[in-house]
Amino acid sequence: MKTVKQIAIILGLSLVAAFTVNHFSPAGIELVGQWDTAQGVVTAKAKNDILIDGIEIATVDQAKKLYDSGEYIFVDARSREDYAQGHIKGAVSLPVGQFEEKMAAFLERYPPEVSIVTYCSGRNCSDSHHLAEFLLEYGYAKVSVFIDGFSGWKAEGLPIE
Amino acid sequence: MNNFFTNILINSWIELAARWLLGATFIYASYSKILAPAVFAKIIYGYDLFPALLINLFAIILPFVELTAGLALIMGFYPRSAALIINAMLLAFIISLAINIIRGHEFDCGCFALDANSQSTFSGPLLTRDIVYFALGIYVFFYRNSRRLCLRAG
Repeated sequence: MKTVKQIAIILGLSLVAAFTVNHFSPAGIELVGQWDTAQGVVTAKAKNDILIDGIEIATVDQAKKLYDSGEYIFVDARSREDYAQGHIKGAVSLPVGQFEEKMAAFLERYPPEVSIVTYCSGRNCSDSHHLAEFLLEYGYAKVSVFIDGFSGWKAEGLPIE
Repeated sequence: MNNFFTNILINSWIELAARWLLGATFIYASYSKILAPAVFAKIIYGYDLFPALLINLFAIILPFVELTAGLALIMGFYPRSAALIINAMLLAFIISLAINIIRGHEFDCGCFALDANSQSTFSGPLLTRDIVYFALGIYVFFYRNSRRLCLRAG
C-alpha cells in the first residue's frame, strides 16, 4: 500500500511536469498526432513544426503529369546516400539536413521562378514538407510536395536512376 | 565464496552506485526526448505497436516519467518505488524490442539520442543492455540494508 502511494506520487509529479512543459515549450506537440498515412504525411503536430497544407500532390498520377510536362524540377529532400542509391530520374538532390550549405549553389542554378516538386521517401517522412517550407522562405513561389515520394514512384514502375 | 557475494550485495556503497548509475542513465535518456517530443513521437510510431491516439501522449509523458524516476533514484526519494517504475518501463521496452526483433521489423529504437535520419540499429545489444539495467533495478528494489544519501527512503 505504501509503495502504491509512493508510485502515485512519482507518476503524479511526472504527469504535471510533462503537461506543463509540453504546454509552454515551443517544441510542444498536440495531444493527438496525425499518424494515418491515408491522410497524407504522418506528424506529431509540434507547435514549431507546422507542415504547410494545400501544396501536396496527393496521387502518383498527378505527379507523373507534372513530371511529363517537363516544366517542373523534381527535388530530392533525402540524404545524399539515399539519393545515390536511387532517385526519380532527373531529380536534383537537395538534402534538407544540409540545406544551408547547398542552398547557394541551388539558387544559382535554379532561379526562384522555376516550378518545384519536392519529395522524400514517402508518407512516413516529412523532409519534403520541410524542404518546401525552406524553399518558400527563399522566395520560390511555385513549390509542391509529392507526398508518396520515391517509394510511391518506384512502386508504379516510373522512371528512376 | 557465498559470503563474498552476500557482502557485496548488502554493501551500501554498491547499492548507491547501482542506484546512481540507473538514475543517471534514465535522466540522460530523457534529455533529447524532452527537447524534441515530435521526433520521439515519430520513433514510437516507428515501433508500429501502439494506437495512433496514444502515440503523442506517450511521447509527452514517458520522458518525464524517466526523468522523475531517475531523479528520485539519485536523490533517494522513495528509491524502491522509483526502481519499480523504472523496471516497469524497462520491461515495456524489452517486450517492444523483442516483438520487433521476432517479427523482423526494422526500426530506430530511439533509446538515447534522437536522430531522425539515423538508420535502424541492430536491436540485439539493446535488448541485452536493457536486461542488465533491469537486473540493477531488481537489486535496488530488493536491497534491505539502510541506504546511503537518501532524501526519503520511504
